[in-house]
Amino acid sequence: MQRFHLTIFGAGLILTMAAARGDVVAVVSDRSAVVSLSKNQVVDIFLGRAARFPNGNQAVPIDQAEGAAARDEFYIRFAGKTAAQIKAHWSKIIFTGRGQPPRAVSNSGEIKKLLASNPNGIGYIEQSDVDGSVKVVRIE
Amino acid sequence: MDSTVIARERMKLTSITAIAALLCASAVRADDADAPMFTFNGFGTLGVAHSSEDRADFRSGLRPEGAGFTDDWSFAVDSLIAGQVNATFTPKLSAVVQVMAEPNYDGSYDPHVEWANIQYQFTPEFSVRIGRTVLPCFQLSETRKVGFTYPWVRPPLELYQVNPVASNDGADASYRLHFGEWTHTPQLRFGRSNTKLPNNAGTAKASNVWGISDTSEMGSLTAHVSYVRTELTLASFDPLFDGFRQFGPQGAAIADKNVVRDTVVTFLGVGASYDPGKWFTMAEWGRLRSDSVLGTRSAWYVSGGYRSGKFTPYLTYSKAFADELSDPGLDVSALPPFLAGPATGLNAGLNTILSQKPVEKTVSLGARWDFATNADFKLQFDHIRIGAGSTGVLTNTQPDFQLGGDLNVFSATIDFVF
Repeated sequence: MQRFHLTIFGAGLILTMAAARGDVVAVVSDRSAVVSLSKNQVVDIFLGRAARFPNGNQAVPIDQAEGAAARDEFYIRFAGKTAAQIKAHWSKIIFTGRGQPPRAVSNSGEIKKLLASNPNGIGYIEQSDVDGSVKVVRIE
Repeated sequence: MDSTVIARERMKLTSITAIAALLCASAVRADDADAPMFTFNGFGTLGVAHSSEDRADFRSGLRPEGAGFTDDWSFAVDSLIAGQVNATFTPKLSAVVQVMAEPNYDGSYDPHVEWANIQYQFTPEFSVRIGRTVLPCFQLSETRKVGFTYPWVRPPLELYQVNPVASNDGADASYRLHFGEWTHTPQLRFGRSNTKLPNNAGTAKASNVWGISDTSEMGSLTAHVSYVRTELTLASFDPLFDGFRQFGPQGAAIADKNVVRDTVVTFLGVGASYDPGKWFTMAEWGRLRSDSVLGTRSAWYVSGGYRSGKFTPYLTYSKAFADELSDPGLDVSALPPFLAGPATGLNAGLNTILSQKPVEKTVSLGARWDFATNADFKLQFDHIRIGAGSTGVLTNTQPDFQLGGDLNVFSATIDFVF
């Protein structure tokens, strides 16, 4: 029992530390009806496996540019994949003519600007960059 | 200048021309920066392979030569370069053309159109493509030539040589469905293909190609099932079987049993992979069936690897099976001497074809190093044990080559995408 409590405490501590470090969160336009998604649903949209949100609305993913720290952290945290694995994933899709990767922009500000004009958009930014123009997607 | 040098120079020139043409096409962009009208991408592999068996060639796909007999260290086993242009005309209408330069069936390096099709996306879930598309028999059919997308130097030959034909000229329809956390993508296709074969084996004509496949994905898990049915003609075998027909009912029976003329060939394949990121494992099985000299062949492999930073060591075990590798043929002892000679020749011809069904097992050990975000370097060692009476996946077997036996292959490749 003692050990069990310790485990929970340990897990809680790790979660707290993770949240304290400028975490990457999935965001949608403040006009979007999307409130929460599962990790898999977010990943499916960004990897081109789903074209819609679960509520049926079209989903338009917006990536951060290759090499951006937020991008690497997003794919590791949400998909468990490294930058090289994401590159390999898109190579598979591109070279079968099945699609192109999401549009990529250079920073969080650009993401917020695009989301402001596109209620169907979904992006990811550092927690510290979140402001009133976007809504953080709750991960179930 | 010897012919190899000329061929290499030609490869360079023709590839450069093709890629320059593609680059020019991609330079034309629509004014709207949001939706580029044309995008250009490319991929390639520069590889070298060495085989311990010097009386035959270790090769992949439908390449006419490889490592062993032709070259001690061969660039022809894995090297290729390809460029692709995607054109988006409207959000629903798009087209793709992929041009590839690799060793062709006749030893030339002339670029060919690997695929060229027009896609109409009726809804985000439903699309139809018309033109030259991939024939997705295998889990990795669509990307079997894009080395950058898989961990190994090449997909296990035991299985992937069961059907080396990659393209289909026709139409396919694809529908994406979501069931809970599962994404299913069933596909239906119809078409035909003409594939030129190396080593003077003529053309493989596949007509009435029908295929159905499904790819299911859930998180890290992917599963693939496919079934393809076609009518195949290999006219280059006809003279041999016409010869058999000169030998009465016994000869005609042998010819009917083996001839490949509008012969129904079916392929069934099942595969799955689990790739949570830190490691991966995958397995796949496939079987080709026909009532002809091609017979029934099947193969499977299991593979796994572990990703440690930029390094991915992996291990693969694969095995290929086939039915009869030989046939007694015509009863020579019953023939007068002046017919026994030609009959022996026909029997030998039939048995040569039968012995080319691969029966073998391979253990592969290798590693991939992702030294850049768009390039990797791979080393692979294969130990191959060929079954008695079979040439395995080897080609260009020389008169002193012994069927069956062991060999080792060492390969090094650089894969890149751009």
